[in-house]
Amino acid sequence: MEPNPAVALDRKSRIALLVEHFESPRHKGPLEVADVAMPGGSPECGGSVTVYLKGDGNGELEALSWTGQGDTISMGATSIVVERILNDGLSMDEVLEADYQELIDSLGRDIIGNRTRHATLGLSTIKAAIRQYRRTGRPQAEL
Amino acid sequence: MTEQEIQGKGYANPDALVSTQWVAEHLDDTDNVRIAESDEDVILYDIGHVPNAVKIDWVEDLNDPLMRDYLDPEHFANLMAEKGITPDTTVIFYGDRNNWWATYALWVFRLFGHDNVKVMDGGRVKWEAEGREMTQDVPSYPRAEYPTPERDDAKIRAFKEDVERHLEASGPLVDVRSPGEYKGELLHMPDYPQEGALRGGHIPGAANVPWARAVREDGTFKSADELREIYEGEAGLSGGDDVIAYCRIGERSSHTWFVLSYLLGYDNVRNYDGSWTEWGNLVRAPIER
Repeated sequence: MEPNPAVALDRKSRIALLVEHFESPRHKGPLEVADVAMPGGSPECGGSVTVYLKGDGNGELEALSWTGQGDTISMGATSIVVERILNDGLSMDEVLEADYQELIDSLGRDIIGNRTRHATLGLSTIKAAIRQYRRTGRPQAEL
Repeated sequence: MTEQEIQGKGYANPDALVSTQWVAEHLDDTDNVRIAESDEDVILYDIGHVPNAVKIDWVEDLNDPLMRDYLDPEHFANLMAEKGITPDTTVIFYGDRNNWWATYALWVFRLFGHDNVKVMDGGRVKWEAEGREMTQDVPSYPRAEYPTPERDDAKIRAFKEDVERHLEASGPLVDVRSPGEYKGELLHMPDYPQEGALRGGHIPGAANVPWARAVREDGTFKSADELREIYEGEAGLSGGDDVIAYCRIGERSSHTWFVLSYLLGYDNVRNYDGSWTEWGNLVRAPIER
């Protein structure tokens, strides 16, 4: 994933970014035509999400959305990640290669602290959805 | 809610709770009272907190960074000194999720013999719902003198061996996780096997009382009568029992420990913080589903 401008933000601004995404989440809602609906996380610990993914038939993403509930870090970070993936037009391979540590750095390591699993919940579930899509969700003609 | 209303709920130890009004009236009593916010959602304190409240982060502040254990006495004393807390300071905990993490922090304080602890009934959600003052200002207190305490795990903490002995003696256990976890339908989070267990289910004989049943919609604790109906009427516990509560890592069960110990006045309640992440991974540990 490309470096994000959020890296340059100060602590207060990075918190504000997470809160803003938490309160106005992007691309949130189920996807009726999804090839894969992948659950992740735990409602009892940090948060849970379901990632909806539709492939374009050529091994790339056609649509991506999510639902979930949880704390500011897990929900805000999921919204930020989904928005980056779609805005940057990342390929499935690029998403799978996205580095968790870079994500945490961009969100703010001082904010995330040891709650790294909360911060990476969205990205890890998206990766799981892609792997699931490649295992089972790819249209038959592509196999 | 006032102190009179808390008294009216019939608890064994009503002084274990303070009302939001009491806290509002003691915001500036910083020589004697330290208000401490402890949340699951760690950003909440930065977004806004009760004026003059300090933050206690259960991961960063209360856990040993290497071994699976709590901080040692030297680090606890240093944490207290940093927060301007002396052994005589009354610490008032509050937090999100129905005071789940507030009671967890309180339980850890008790391991170190800091017994002058209370919970703000209703927690953060009630304070906010009442439109009370919130601030982003982080208070700074002069470093306090806090002699290194002794940590006593025996009275309120259970280890694996204690649970095994308890099981042999058919002692009462309370599993405070969700019914899905209790029944073994949920093992761990996808992609996070280290957060889970290799086997699902519960410790044989444990009753299932999800922790949040102890609170009302507004975040305050249910009355003693309502709590007795749940824990004694439904789960079959009684005040003279030696009870062990557990969940996944011991956080939710600290809430139940607080309810049974303070609000219902049980003398012998221990929190098994190893909980399902230990028991569900133990070779040959007996399990029921």
